[in-house]
Amino acid sequence: MAKPDLIDAPSRRDQTLAITLTVAAAYLPLGRFMAWEVSAFLALVLVLRFAAARWPAATPGRWTLLILTLVGGLNCLVANQSLVGKVGGTALLVTMLALKLLELRTRRDHRVVAIVLGLLITVQFLFDRGLGLTLYLGAVAVMTVALLVDLNGGLGAAPWRRTAAVTARLTLQAAPLTVVLFLLFPRLDAPLWNLGLERDTGTIGMTDHLEPGSVGELVINGELAFRARFATPAPKRQQLYWRGLVLWEVDDRRWSQGADLPPGKADRLAQMADLIDYEVVLEPSRQRWLFTLDLPAQAPDEYPADTRLGAGFALTATAPISSAKRYHARSALSYQTKAPSEAERRYALQVPRNVTARMRSLVAGWSRDGATDWDLVQAGLNFFNHEEFHYTLLPPRLGANPWDEFLFETRSGFCEHYAGSFAILMRLAGVPARVVLGYLGGEPNRIGGYHMVWQSDAHAWVEVAIAGRGWVRVDPTSAVASFRVDNQGASRLLGAGAPLRFQIDAAGPLGRAIRQLRYLADSVDAAWQGWVLDFSSEEQKRLVDGLGLREYGELALAGIMMTSVALVMGLILLALMRQAQPQDPVTRSYSLLCRRLARVGLTRASGEGPADFARRVGAARPDLAVAVGQIVGLYVRCHFTAHHTTADGERLALRVRAFRPRAARHPPGPRDQRG
Amino acid sequence: MKGSLPTTIHPDPPQANLTEQVLAAAGAIILGKEHALRLALACLLARGHLLIEDLPGVGKTTLAHLLARLLGLQYSRIQFTSDLLPADVIGVSVYERDNERFRFHPGPVFSQLVLADEINRATPKAQSALLEAMEERQVTVDGETRPLPDPFFVIATQNPSYQIGTYPLPESQLDRFLMRIRLGYPPAAQEKVLLAGEDRRAMVERQPAILTAADLARLQGLVSQVTATAPIIDYCLAILQFTRRSERFVHGLSPRAGVGLLRASKAWALLAGRTYVIPEDVQAVVPACCIHRLVGGDAAGRLDHDEVAALILAAVPVP
Repeated sequence: MAKPDLIDAPSRRDQTLAITLTVAAAYLPLGRFMAWEVSAFLALVLVLRFAAARWPAATPGRWTLLILTLVGGLNCLVANQSLVGKVGGTALLVTMLALKLLELRTRRDHRVVAIVLGLLITVQFLFDRGLGLTLYLGAVAVMTVALLVDLNGGLGAAPWRRTAAVTARLTLQAAPLTVVLFLLFPRLDAPLWNLGLERDTGTIGMTDHLEPGSVGELVINGELAFRARFATPAPKRQQLYWRGLVLWEVDDRRWSQGADLPPGKADRLAQMADLIDYEVVLEPSRQRWLFTLDLPAQAPDEYPADTRLGAGFALTATAPISSAKRYHARSALSYQTKAPSEAERRYALQVPRNVTARMRSLVAGWSRDGATDWDLVQAGLNFFNHEEFHYTLLPPRLGANPWDEFLFETRSGFCEHYAGSFAILMRLAGVPARVVLGYLGGEPNRIGGYHMVWQSDAHAWVEVAIAGRGWVRVDPTSAVASFRVDNQGASRLLGAGAPLRFQIDAAGPLGRAIRQLRYLADSVDAAWQGWVLDFSSEEQKRLVDGLGLREYGELALAGIMMTSVALVMGLILLALMRQAQPQDPVTRSYSLLCRRLARVGLTRASGEGPADFARRVGAARPDLAVAVGQIVGLYVRCHFTAHHTTADGERLALRVRAFRPRAARHPPGPRDQRG
Repeated sequence: MKGSLPTTIHPDPPQANLTEQVLAAAGAIILGKEHALRLALACLLARGHLLIEDLPGVGKTTLAHLLARLLGLQYSRIQFTSDLLPADVIGVSVYERDNERFRFHPGPVFSQLVLADEINRATPKAQSALLEAMEERQVTVDGETRPLPDPFFVIATQNPSYQIGTYPLPESQLDRFLMRIRLGYPPAAQEKVLLAGEDRRAMVERQPAILTAADLARLQGLVSQVTATAPIIDYCLAILQFTRRSERFVHGLSPRAGVGLLRASKAWALLAGRTYVIPEDVQAVVPACCIHRLVGGDAAGRLDHDEVAALILAAVPVP
């Protein structure tokens, strides 16, 4: 009877259904990164697939498939303008995988889909590497393995228990390999897929300039900006000014960093006290700036190697932050900076061209004889405090001259309105001023033991240069809305327009429970970040150094990895072989004898005893009778009698090893091929 | 498997002569049944009871009688009929007027070798009287326990149960027989000799004993000294496990069957002149030791002797 063909055997309907659903499940998290056209095409194909499963006559034919392939390809091209690159390539992969679903006939087709599914799962980590996604895709991957096990499990329905057991065993066997590859697979400092085929233009979080409305967008953004863990007791909330960018240049609409400042040496503090040590884990922002507490107090060479402390104590990374960035910093809460240089002073006094007469007259009203710079600052703050200024997240739109309109007409706005216009007023009054963009505050996560700083904590404030005191922080927003500074984040009090999570009464039991849950979830996420995602080439080097293998150079890693993988696989193989192969040397010798005899056509039936076998061999091959009789006699002596020595076992092993039967000239007749 | 006797690998120990003599003498009277004779002798050496199942007239009774003569055992025969009473088997207490007391008159069961002829013709009540004695090796009459002689063997014969007027033995009682063998018709050549030759019964009557009681006791002792190494124990265990797992049987072999299987294998090994058991010994006794204890899963519940034995032996790998 011909052996049934397992490769091209017809598939079962439940296999087709299961693999289709798995493809849909694998695509689900990818949907948000794909153009809607790609998702729509996949949905269309899935509908066709289910229709074909329900009514086999509806299975698309060759021409329909060809047309669908063309449509799918064009669809990808139209949606992404490209068939390569991260998004374009993935879209093409999804489209082609979907089309293969319409071609599921034999088990071979199912296997192909299952293997491509593996690729689809892997590709998704180019988009997102969160814990939730990893767990989800892990489950999909296990499902894929189960499908493959079922597809290879012989004809007929394999009992699901067996499939589950084999899948579980395979998954467990893969676990040590995963650990080895995770620890030792050579890592690249730059992402491999960033080959210049596309630009990552979308930045996350803060922009590099300030104009009325830019921070406001952030305040309704519910995402995490960074986590900070304090080594020393955490400062009070109103002291948590997280410094990001320092903006020197102002034009008609916006504040920006400016390029005119000479790249002087990094600033050092003249005096410092209340030092705070902390560690920040910044979420990927695709920007360069890092956030430190006001004001960073390390010596310039104490900062991490891939960062740079610029003018105005702005710490930046040398490369855009594409994955979570962890860095240590030390800041002084009480400080005094050096007096600004002449160049800085000049730069910090420039005013935009659209300064109006009423702005000038307003400032002129503050300047009295003998008024110090500090008096002018106080006067400016008083202006915001006493006039009818409102703090709102939804300020009215401003026209051609936003600064003037805000100061004299709308008078309602958010921190960037106050900070931006206050700095201009100070410059008009002759006080050097600059705007600082960053975050204010942070939500302590007691479960994780760190502070969470959200995008909604984004803030802008002003620094003024006062003679004898250096740069001093002034927060004009506090003059209007002190709660923004010393209370919860502004958005939390706004109600309408804020994301849903802020609308639950935060102090109520439900709010507390939700907050606790959120803290817990965030701690888990932070741990995932710390242990898995942050495991960079640097950590890897540290690991290799720890193993004392530094001097073996770059190849060491690859070498260790290959060795470890080989070792783990070898151990698994050994364990598998041990199950199959008896350990007892006597039995092993006998098995070898049986294998050698099987090679010349004398196969022992599993239910055939040694003496019967020896006699049968003797009858079929008289030339082997004596040798086999002696060997089997030895085997019986070793295996079944009480009185035998290890020497007998060794003799048996020697005899068997020396026994190499040649095939008979005339092959034994069918009568002899028992079993 | 039938008829494939294991090769003797080591030179025969002295006791082989005695057993070979017994087998040779038996083979001279019961022609063409060497394997069945060897099994019957192995059964007795393993201290087991023997059930011979076959059609009338194939020599069941002759075999039992012959074994008694050869082994030098005191012999009695009970013909089981449908009106047989337990007292007919065990014996009765009779009041003796002279002594003014009851005196026990032992029944035919108080013999070293009891032939229970056509055991399935008697009612279950009479059957159980004998079967209990077989297991306990003693009988209790009028509150007094009386030991049966030693050695004590029962050789029961049974007609195939599809014959009219039979009470088939229940499985629980079949389990008490170490072996069930079948004789079958003799091969044509041997049957010719049989027809031409002397009356077998007369030959049996003339046959002198070959073994003494002491010889038999010594041989039985030797059986328990035969080595069964761990692989053999595992093999027996695997056979038991297989019958318990297989869907072919309603229930598998009992632990008692396992003990019997190993002991019968040892006796078989001893008859082959070995002091250790090899897998072939186990295989040789499996058909006789196991099949009568198994109930088939098919509707009829009957199992074909040789087919089932071959199935079990092919399915269980030899160590």
